[in-house]
Amino acid sequence: MNNAFPEILQCSDMTVLERQKAPLQRQQEQLQQQEKQQQSYFSELRGVFSNQTSHVQGLQGGLLSGDSLLCDMVMTPQAKPDPGLETARSELGNIDIAGMGFGQCGYVNGPSFDMNYAIYRTSSCPPAVVAAAVATEGVEAKGKESVESEKLGSAIGRESFKKRKADKLHCSKVVAEDDSKRIKACAEERESKITGPNTNKSSSSNNNNKKQTSTETSKENSKFSKVQKPDYIHVRARRGQATDRHSLAERVRREKISERMKYLQDLVPGCNKITGKAGMLDEITSYVQSLQQQVELLSMKLAAVNPKLDFNIDNLFAKQLFASCTTTFPTVGMLSEMANPPYLQFNPVQQVVSCREVEMGMGMGMEINSPDMALQRTINAPLSIPDASFLDSSCLAQFQSSAAWDVELQNLYNVGFDQEGSTTPFPSQPFTGTKS
Amino acid sequence: MRPPSSLKQEFLKKWIMGLQRCSTVKKNMSILERKKAIKLSADVAMASARNGKTCWSRAIIANASKHGSDKHLVEKILGPESERLIAKKVSTGALCNNRIRSKKILKRSWGIRRTRKCAPQVALASFIAKWLVRKRTKVLKSLIPGGEFMNEVCLIEETLDYIISLRAQVDVMRTLASTSEIVNHN
Repeated sequence: MNNAFPEILQCSDMTVLERQKAPLQRQQEQLQQQEKQQQSYFSELRGVFSNQTSHVQGLQGGLLSGDSLLCDMVMTPQAKPDPGLETARSELGNIDIAGMGFGQCGYVNGPSFDMNYAIYRTSSCPPAVVAAAVATEGVEAKGKESVESEKLGSAIGRESFKKRKADKLHCSKVVAEDDSKRIKACAEERESKITGPNTNKSSSSNNNNKKQTSTETSKENSKFSKVQKPDYIHVRARRGQATDRHSLAERVRREKISERMKYLQDLVPGCNKITGKAGMLDEITSYVQSLQQQVELLSMKLAAVNPKLDFNIDNLFAKQLFASCTTTFPTVGMLSEMANPPYLQFNPVQQVVSCREVEMGMGMGMEINSPDMALQRTINAPLSIPDASFLDSSCLAQFQSSAAWDVELQNLYNVGFDQEGSTTPFPSQPFTGTKS
Repeated sequence: MRPPSSLKQEFLKKWIMGLQRCSTVKKNMSILERKKAIKLSADVAMASARNGKTCWSRAIIANASKHGSDKHLVEKILGPESERLIAKKVSTGALCNNRIRSKKILKRSWGIRRTRKCAPQVALASFIAKWLVRKRTKVLKSLIPGGEFMNEVCLIEETLDYIISLRAQVDVMRTLASTSEIVNHN
């Protein structure tokens, strides 16, 4: 079959490239002898790729053996699914220059290995073309005929097919990068090619930008940058409708979770530096555990302090005041308490600002002599005065109140204020008013 | 949005109510009993401050109302809404369970269909990460009351709320303890 090639070439004027190849026929004849040895390999390869388009097969018939076989291997990887066909056609237009390149190879008389090296040096060839050619050459040079070629063919086919599934697959991008790198470097061993995809997978990153840069660089390398399309960097649509819905739903769910994790990061102290779910969850669990342990300890302490569970009213009053005092202190707790349900109405700024204002006012030590002023302040930083009154009346009925209220209250205020360090001048009038 | 200190006030109010009830019911409790009573009333008060909006609060109330003696405490603290809240928890718990089980089955089937073709190292790393996350969510679920019935999204929301409530609880208890100490010293 290969012997018929030169005859076909001579008699047919199929394409322009054949005319251009006419002066190269002499060298081709020299190559034929070498190629006869390779026929067995090539035939198998061709068999592998024979399920390609008619265009390619027409080429097979029309070109010289060496060139034809190389172009064969060159075309077939791109000729897989439909877009590959177009690129194959575009490659046809460029075959003349490729043929020139290969013609240079023809000058090299020697074993097929030399031809392979020549192909290496022809960096003008379209990258995928050369890569595929080199890859296939590498296959046959190894002597592993059908298995490897099929592997490679399937690998190449897989890679071109895979590359169309954009984000999910690492290896496709790796192979694309590898191809372009091989073309650039032109110095890699043939053996490394097959193992290359495996070793480089780990080092590659799942980055679309890399793909695009590889296409750009490959374009720069090739002379036919205008004509050549980035054939193996297809970003096709994702899978069918059903899975899209699932993946969309999952993506929404994941975004929800990450959003809430951000809130948690603000809430839990010391989580700013930690990224990632597992570390965050660890911190959260430890924080919750610590809080629960604190509750246990405090309840134990309270039980120890009070021989019986009686919390006197005067105690309670003081407690009310302290409770309100603590809330005015802007702590992280403030921000956390802002995130009350519904959390997504996350509006800490206003509350913090208002509380800060109140704190400032208090810090200035303004005397509040009327209950009205106190009530006004309750709007900003809700003080417990109304509630205290409520508690007072309800508790009075059940608890025994101490005799000298005012004195005890004053003591508590003083003590409390000293302890808390705030100069909150709460008027005694409201309390005396409710004393009834 | 509720002002922050109102949460504490409400908690304190209800807590004191619960403690009153405990003290009236039983005299001369041991320290451990007292501690239990304090903690229980604090938890229930905290839960009731949420008015049944959150899962963990309902879980606490449900757990507390299982025992007869505590149920009265719960009722006292919650007031008239107690029956509604307890019933709500019972109904949602079973539903959540079934929903989550069916979701897990669905997710497992998706995973089988969509097996990523990655390098072994990458696959291993992602597997380890997922395993870690799963393990830690289990731990968190055991911590949050009623957490076993939640999916991930709900769990994180509940954790948020629970942390806030716990903080408020700790603050109030701490101040009460300190004031009690001071009063006792004086």
